[in-house]
Amino acid sequence: MAFLDNSGDIILDAVLTDTGRYRLAQGNGAFNIAKFALGDDEINYGLYNKTHASGSAYYGLEVLQTPIMEAFTNNTANLNSRLMSLTRTNILYMPILKLNKHAGIDDGGQNHSSMMFERTAEIAGGYQDEPRFYIAVDSRTDHILRSTRTATQTISQGTPLATTTRGVIQGFTKSGQQGQNKDFIRVDQGLDTTEVSPGPEGLESDLLETAFIIETDYRLGGPKSVDGNIAVYNFIDDDNIASYYLSGNPYVNPAGLIAPKDAYDSEQQSYTLEELDNVNKQVFYGPRGNTLHFRIQASQELRTSTYLFEQLGFSEAATSNSRLGLKAYGNDGALTSTSTCYFIDTTIRITGANTGFRLDLPVRYVKIT
Amino acid sequence: MSTFKPITNDDVVSTRTLLHEAIPITGTIASGTYASDGNIKTFSHGMFESVYDYPYLSSSANHIFDVTYGWSSTYSASCATAARGAAQAKKKVNIYNQMAQVLMGYNESGSIRNFDSDGTLDDAANEMHQCIFVNFSRLLVKDEIKKNSFRMKLYTNWSDGHQKVPSATYTLGDYNSANEFRTSPSGDYGLVYKQTSDTSSAGNSVGLIFYQAGIMVLTSSMFAGDFGWDATHAITTSSISLASISGTIENLADGFRRTLVDIDFNNTIELNSSIYFCRVNHNEFNYSANPTYVSDSKLVVKNNYNDLPITYLTTVGLYGADNELLAVAKLSEPIRKDPNTELTLRVRLDY
Repeated sequence: MAFLDNSGDIILDAVLTDTGRYRLAQGNGAFNIAKFALGDDEINYGLYNKTHASGSAYYGLEVLQTPIMEAFTNNTANLNSRLMSLTRTNILYMPILKLNKHAGIDDGGQNHSSMMFERTAEIAGGYQDEPRFYIAVDSRTDHILRSTRTATQTISQGTPLATTTRGVIQGFTKSGQQGQNKDFIRVDQGLDTTEVSPGPEGLESDLLETAFIIETDYRLGGPKSVDGNIAVYNFIDDDNIASYYLSGNPYVNPAGLIAPKDAYDSEQQSYTLEELDNVNKQVFYGPRGNTLHFRIQASQELRTSTYLFEQLGFSEAATSNSRLGLKAYGNDGALTSTSTCYFIDTTIRITGANTGFRLDLPVRYVKIT
Repeated sequence: MSTFKPITNDDVVSTRTLLHEAIPITGTIASGTYASDGNIKTFSHGMFESVYDYPYLSSSANHIFDVTYGWSSTYSASCATAARGAAQAKKKVNIYNQMAQVLMGYNESGSIRNFDSDGTLDDAANEMHQCIFVNFSRLLVKDEIKKNSFRMKLYTNWSDGHQKVPSATYTLGDYNSANEFRTSPSGDYGLVYKQTSDTSSAGNSVGLIFYQAGIMVLTSSMFAGDFGWDATHAITTSSISLASISGTIENLADGFRRTLVDIDFNNTIELNSSIYFCRVNHNEFNYSANPTYVSDSKLVVKNNYNDLPITYLTTVGLYGADNELLAVAKLSEPIRKDPNTELTLRVRLDY
């Protein structure tokens, strides 16, 4: 979009989004403006110069010179960062969202917060993070990615990989498997600073997230709880982006898991990170808020067909696949000479319902035929 | 804490605005300057022809208007047009009747009402039985033609000399429509006169302009002398009455196009607007979820707890009840917001 003319009076360039037009065309009252929000997507607050020699009137000079683009009509491309209302004016620290990548978080012995996953390094005898989650869309793919086999072992045989590589999320539901391999995505909220100590109170109540919004492409999949209950979307826009409003158990501070603010090591009498490794690994050194736990369920189209993979993604030969660290055909009993790996890369957006802070998680759906 | 603020009924107002655009059409487009390139589209059925501003096979071409010709059943019967071998006699009647039934409607006995140049429908005086119809594209007319803005300059008389040059020119217009217009099944219409001085009597009218329909109806009798259509611009020695018998609809449309000098009118667009007043109080929207707003979770715009929080807003989003972004408005420059300021942002959505 072009820049707006900022040489004269301040003007407002208003436009319906594509979703707005879609709702208007439905003609069933779905187009009903009920609230407003303010955004500052273009602003780089790093330009705010608190040491400007000419005084405080000039601190925001560079910020005010920011040219503003015309409005996008894509509803998901606007207001990515919103302004928020807090009655207090004495807030100096604000919480953010952060991915908790620790493995081995104990909430019953079965579940593991998903590591960023890199199988190639595992095959080479080491481990290396890759900045995305892998979603196995079917049971066969999940088996192949979780185990190593000999040339004579079948798909259900083999040796499970080490816990530290169990970063593959099961994007399917299979009878008898609900209680195992429930790797999940965990997002924590808190103050990412060492200047404020964590304590039993956690975050101030007006900064605390009690609900999260997940936005993802509905054609590909959607969130489900750690126990496998599929979440219900609030709405799907014209671009197939579904929005889910998740609050309470089992998504936010699920039952059975020690709440982050209560992650206290009684032996060490401490709330700091280091002493919590065996209790509930944390990612924030400062006060902690609530956590979001969820898994991803692949859509039926991805589970049962390669059509969307061919339309939206890419494919590679499975034999000796370096991206997934698969063995050559003949060395792995699960692979055939024509086995193919299909991939779709996408993102999942997580937004705090109260603060509007967000986190975009890269995700890769994978299917091995 | 919230990033949303409800909009109540007191924050919304609906308005209606009329917007006018000036539409100038140069006669060279209509007279076929680009004819060899194909800006005049004809059809195998021969019932009208279309004028474009550019060769119509190009995706850049815009439809400007159509021209057609028709005569009434009354005229057809009285002149025994079929018996005289008139060209497209039946189609000319069909065109007239189609236009009349849409624009003029039906009389008390259910018959199609003829066009009447003086707008007086309860008598047979000044009925127009041989008419040229100019149907303007909706692209130009939009919601309607603005009253008392329509002007059409054309040659109404051609000399019979060797050079075949046009002589008399008139600027037709709906000169009196600001004070007097009539209504029909297709909306308002005004009387078209050759000149301002003719408005003293409705009987001087030579046609009608239907504002909402965007159609002009002209009596062919306003043309005097020769009336021609051949490709070399030579003028036939036929009068309009003879030309209307022997000429096809396409021939007559060609002849009319070559009389045009220019056309000007203003269109009207009805803008229905909803205005949303987004009221920002002093204690609202003073913090941001912008990732650059914090560094190690500390606000970059503050040095200590007592400093006032500051934000710079650039965008207003209007949401549905489910937090679905339905409309968005951008400010042309950032506005500083802190607890010492209050704002009212007026967002207008046009439909």
